[in-house]
Amino acid sequence: MELDFSILSKFQYALLLGLWTTLKLTVICIVLGCALGFAVGLARTSRNIVLRALSSAYVEFFRGTPVLVQLFWIFFCLPLMLGVELSNFTSGVVALTLYMGAITSETFRASLKSIGPEQFDACVALGLPRNVQVVNVVLPQAVLRAIPTLLSNCVSLFKESALVSAVGMADLMFVGQNISNNTARPVEVLSVVALIYFVIAFPLTRAVSVIEARILGKLAI
Amino acid sequence: MIMSFSLPLVKMQSLHKSYADGAIQVLKGIDIEMKPGERVVVIGPSGGGKSTLLRVMMGLEKIDSGSVTFDGKPYISSGSSESKTVIDMSVRRSIGMVFQHYTLFPHLNVLQNLILAPCKVRGEAKSKAQDRAQTLLERFGLGAKAKAYPAQLSGGQKQRVAIARALMLDPKLMLFDEVTSALDPELVGEVEQVILQLAAQNMPMMIVTHDMWFARNIASRVIFCAGGVVVEDGPPEQVLGSPKEERTKEFIDRVFHINQ
Amino acid sequence: MDYTFDFNAVSLAPLLKGLWVSLELTVAANVIGIVFGFGLALLIMSPFKLVRLPFMLLVEFFRCTPAIVQIVWIFYCVPMLFDVFLDPITMGVLALGLNLMAFNAEAYRASIQAVPKEQIDAGIALGLTPIQRILHIVFPTAFRASVPVLLTNGIVIFQQSALVAIVAIQDLMYQGKSLATETYRPIETFTVVALIYFAVSFPVTQIVGLLERRRQLLVS
Repeated sequence: MELDFSILSKFQYALLLGLWTTLKLTVICIVLGCALGFAVGLARTSRNIVLRALSSAYVEFFRGTPVLVQLFWIFFCLPLMLGVELSNFTSGVVALTLYMGAITSETFRASLKSIGPEQFDACVALGLPRNVQVVNVVLPQAVLRAIPTLLSNCVSLFKESALVSAVGMADLMFVGQNISNNTARPVEVLSVVALIYFVIAFPLTRAVSVIEARILGKLAI
Repeated sequence: MIMSFSLPLVKMQSLHKSYADGAIQVLKGIDIEMKPGERVVVIGPSGGGKSTLLRVMMGLEKIDSGSVTFDGKPYISSGSSESKTVIDMSVRRSIGMVFQHYTLFPHLNVLQNLILAPCKVRGEAKSKAQDRAQTLLERFGLGAKAKAYPAQLSGGQKQRVAIARALMLDPKLMLFDEVTSALDPELVGEVEQVILQLAAQNMPMMIVTHDMWFARNIASRVIFCAGGVVVEDGPPEQVLGSPKEERTKEFIDRVFHINQ
Repeated sequence: MDYTFDFNAVSLAPLLKGLWVSLELTVAANVIGIVFGFGLALLIMSPFKLVRLPFMLLVEFFRCTPAIVQIVWIFYCVPMLFDVFLDPITMGVLALGLNLMAFNAEAYRASIQAVPKEQIDAGIALGLTPIQRILHIVFPTAFRASVPVLLTNGIVIFQQSALVAIVAIQDLMYQGKSLATETYRPIETFTVVALIYFAVSFPVTQIVGLLERRRQLLVS
C-alpha cells in the first residue's frame, strides 16, 4: 500500500488541540496526584491502624485493577452516586488523580523508608525538635530521593491518560482515532499519534536516569 | 584540713539495659563517676555494652533501671512505669556526640550542616552562626570545604565536619562512638588529631575505640567493659600496661597482638 | 444518596466467560514476553552498535507510547501494512505480547547488568570459559533476580488486557461493558468487574512482595 502522510497537514490543528487536552489533563493530575500520594504515603507509615488500613486498601485496590475499569467506574458511577452531573474533564481528572495518588504514594513511602536510622540519631544528638526533624531533615531527603521515580510515575500517567479517549474525551488519542476513521488512513494517522506520545515521553525517561545519577551522587555519604 | 573537692560531671548509678524483653542484657549495673576535665576511654570486646553506654548517655536508648546525673542535675532516670525512661532535654542539649558512620545530613552542605542546630534549636542569628562555623572549620583545616556537600568529602573530612557540627552547640561533654572505625587507615590520623586538639583544651569526653595507640594517647582514664559490667577502671598506664584483672589482660594481649 | 443497589442484576456467567478470555490473553502474552523478551534483552546488549540501536529504539518505542495506541495501531495497521488477516484474539495476544516483551527485555537487561562483578571474577578464577561463565553464572543469577519484576509485569499485562475491549475482543472488560448497558446497572457491574480483576491481581502482588522481602533478607 502507498503511504501518504500529507493528508495529516489538514488535521494539524485538531491534533494539537487533542495534545493540549492530554497535556492539561496530565499536568493537573500530576499536581493533585503527587499531593494525594504524599499524604497517603505518610498515612501508610502512620502509627494509627485505621489510617494505615484505609490507605493500604486504597493503594492495593487501585494497583490491583485496570485503569480502564477505574475510569469507567468513575465516569458512569460517580455521577449516579453523587447525584450530580460531572463534566468529562472533571471525571477524567478524578480518575487519573486517584490513579496517580496510588502509584506516587508507593514512591514516597519507599523514599521515606530509605532514610537510615542514623539520621534520626544525629537529630537527637543535635537536640533538633520534632518539627525541625521533619521539615529540615526528613522531608527534603524524602523528596530528593523520590524525584526520579516520581518522574517515571509522570510518564506512566501521561501514557495512561490516553485511556480517557475510551470514554469520549477529546484527547490526542481520541482525535487521532477520529481522523483515522474519517480518512480511512489509520497507518499514517495512528503512527503520527504514537510518534507524538513517544517524542514527549522518551526524553522524560532519559531525564530520569540523568537525574537519578545526579541525586544518588549527591546524596551518597 | 583542706579537702580538694570537685563535683562529678557525670554520675551513672546502677544502669541496667536489655533488649528483646529482657532476653539480652547489655548493661548489668554500670556505676561510673566522671570528674570535670576527665577523658574516659571505654574499651572492651564487641557486644560488651560500650556503644550502648554512650547511646544511653546521649539519650538515644531507654534504660530498664538506674539513673544518670549530669553536672549535679538529674538527667536520666527509669520512670515509674517499666517501659518509661525520663530524660531531661535541657541537660541533653549540653552533650554532643559523634558516630561511627558520620551521620552528616547529605542534602545540606558543610556550612548548613553546622548551623542547622544552632539556628533552629537556640534561635541563633544565621550570620553569627555562620561566622562561628567558619572559624571552627578553619581551625580543623576545613575552611575551603564550607560549601561542599558531604558526598564530596573524604571519610576523614566528613568525620571532622561531624565533630565541628557537635561543637557548634558548645557541649560540656563530648561522646565519640568508634569515630575512626569506618575510616581508611591513612585517614584515621587527621580525625584523632582533631580530638587531641579538643583534649588539649580540657574538653571532657567519653570515647569508645578499638585503637589502643589512640586510647593511650588521649585517655586520662581507661575503663574496660565486658559482659555489661565494668571489669577494670584506672589510669591508662595501669589498665593498658599492667592490668590487674585476668579478663582485661587477655583482651589487651589479644588486641595488641593484632595491632602489631 | 438515593441509589438502591441491586447486585442480582449482575449475572456472573458472561463475566466469567470474559475472565477466561482475559486469562488466555494474559498467559499467551506472558509466554511471548518471557521467552522473546530474553532474546530481545540479548539483542539490546549486543556489542555491535548496528544490532543494538534499532532494537533499543524498538524497546523504547513500546515503553514510551500508551498501550492503547499500540493495540489500536496493531489492529488497524498490521492487516493493511502486511496484508494479513488474523483472528482478533491472535491480534490481541500479539499486541499485548509485544508490549510485555519490551518491558521484560528491560527487566532482563537490568538484572543481567546487576550481576556482581565478583561473581564473574570468581568464574574466571575457577577457569570457566566466557560461554560457561554466561551460561552458568550470569544467566541463572540474573534470571532469579528478575523473577519479581517479570511477575509484576505479567500482572500489569493482565490489567492492560482490559484495553482489548476497545477493539471488541470479548474479554472481561468487554462483557462488563455490555452487561452494564443491558442491565442499566453500571455501578454494580463495574464494581463486580473491578473486584474480579482485583481478586486475580492481589494474590500475585502479595507473592511478589514476599519474594522481594525474602531476597532482601538473603542479600543483607
